[in-house]
Amino acid sequence: MQVDALIGSRCASQRSEAAVDIVSLNKWYGTFHVLRDVDLRVEPGQQIVICGPSGSGKSTLIRCINQLERHQRGQIFIHGCEVSPKTRALHELRRDVGMVFQHFNLFPHLTVLQNCTLALRRARGIARQEAEDVARHYLERVRIPEQMGKYPSQLSGGQQQRVAIARALCMRPKVMLFDEPTSALDPEMINEVLDVMIELARDGMTMLCVTHEMGFARKVADSIVFMDGGRIVEQAPPLEFFANPQNERTRTFLGQIL
Amino acid sequence: MKFNLAFAIESLPLILSALWTTVWVTVASCAGAALLGFLLEIARRSSRAMSYVMRFVIDFIRSTPLLVQLYFLYFVLPFYGVTLPSFVVGIMGLSIYYSGYLAEVFKAGIDGIPVGQFEAAQSLGLKRLDVVVFVIAPQMLRNIAAPMGNYFVSILKATPYLAIIAVPEMLGEAMEIASDTFRYAEPMLTVGVVFLVLAVAVAQLVRLLEMRLLKSAKR
Repeated sequence: MQVDALIGSRCASQRSEAAVDIVSLNKWYGTFHVLRDVDLRVEPGQQIVICGPSGSGKSTLIRCINQLERHQRGQIFIHGCEVSPKTRALHELRRDVGMVFQHFNLFPHLTVLQNCTLALRRARGIARQEAEDVARHYLERVRIPEQMGKYPSQLSGGQQQRVAIARALCMRPKVMLFDEPTSALDPEMINEVLDVMIELARDGMTMLCVTHEMGFARKVADSIVFMDGGRIVEQAPPLEFFANPQNERTRTFLGQIL
Repeated sequence: MKFNLAFAIESLPLILSALWTTVWVTVASCAGAALLGFLLEIARRSSRAMSYVMRFVIDFIRSTPLLVQLYFLYFVLPFYGVTLPSFVVGIMGLSIYYSGYLAEVFKAGIDGIPVGQFEAAQSLGLKRLDVVVFVIAPQMLRNIAAPMGNYFVSILKATPYLAIIAVPEMLGEAMEIASDTFRYAEPMLTVGVVFLVLAVAVAQLVRLLEMRLLKSAKR
């Protein structure tokens, strides 16, 4: 409520109703052109899966959305609010954009519960008791309520990643970004994380997932984006994407991973 | 003149009368040096311009002798109308001098934190200060408890320098006994032993602290 008011006032010129709107985004690492004229629109409640060979710019793309990476040209809007390297109070925008990392990045010196409540208390200014209630709710949702007092190092990879998802959800984000959330997991733990993500998708969370889990993509994605060489070369709903890929590179890629 | 053990023991109470001064000057200087050093290091990371300025400040502090800094604070500042009590000058001097070294220790401690920790903290929308206080500082301390403790012991052992600016610490007392009695060996031995005991105690404290920090979050 408060946040809506904030965004409303700060981004008076609502550009679009999209949850995320990326307009001809370009980024260079030195002279290397990582993102080339990327356009991507994500409606509220949509789930987008981004795939492609390594080095194609998929991670860089979603890391630009919350400005962990800075772009040089083009525009990014989150619910009509422009995000750019010049955005002031970037931390306020980031509160509405949850992120889950390949390597979990839980805070090792804090317990599971404290990992979840830190941002609620410091960034949202919520009292301890209430923050813990919120954290407990989301930890139950990712099915680890019994591990609340433990430290991340005492958990398995799959459990850590589920805590990381709960930590992001606690902030009640409008958009969730997943950066290869299962790539660092042992095979037997992948499904427990994917199941949580599938539930989240069914509940209507707006999601952008960089992943190679094509089963997951088939199940939940509204649209699959294939990137190669810093460009989006194909975007289609799963059925179409798998049955009838238009682009030669998409076909090669699918042939390799399926 | 033969060494007189009885006299060495006799000089103990007078030397110990300054123990309290030594202890609290040490504690205050450790706190001051750690705080200032941390601020220097955070400032060094805040922007490119600041990184140059702070690197110069840190190198300047580390590259001038402690005695020169102490004399400067004690004898030169009064010329410009700044007169401070000797123990304040002493704590300031030790804090500034060792902040340069501790800034370097903190740098290593922060460099050892995986970059993903900064990214996770940022992506949660924490303010910069909160990232530093709640995410970076605790992990940094865990990385550097041992080297930081070494500098705390160094600060303890540097307090005798303050005798030259008339801070009534233990070496000063020992010197007084010596110049009154013309016996140097006994009071020097006694003061040395007291420092030895204190230094071992500080080292033990640091070890305990390190174990606690590591226990709270095994990697």
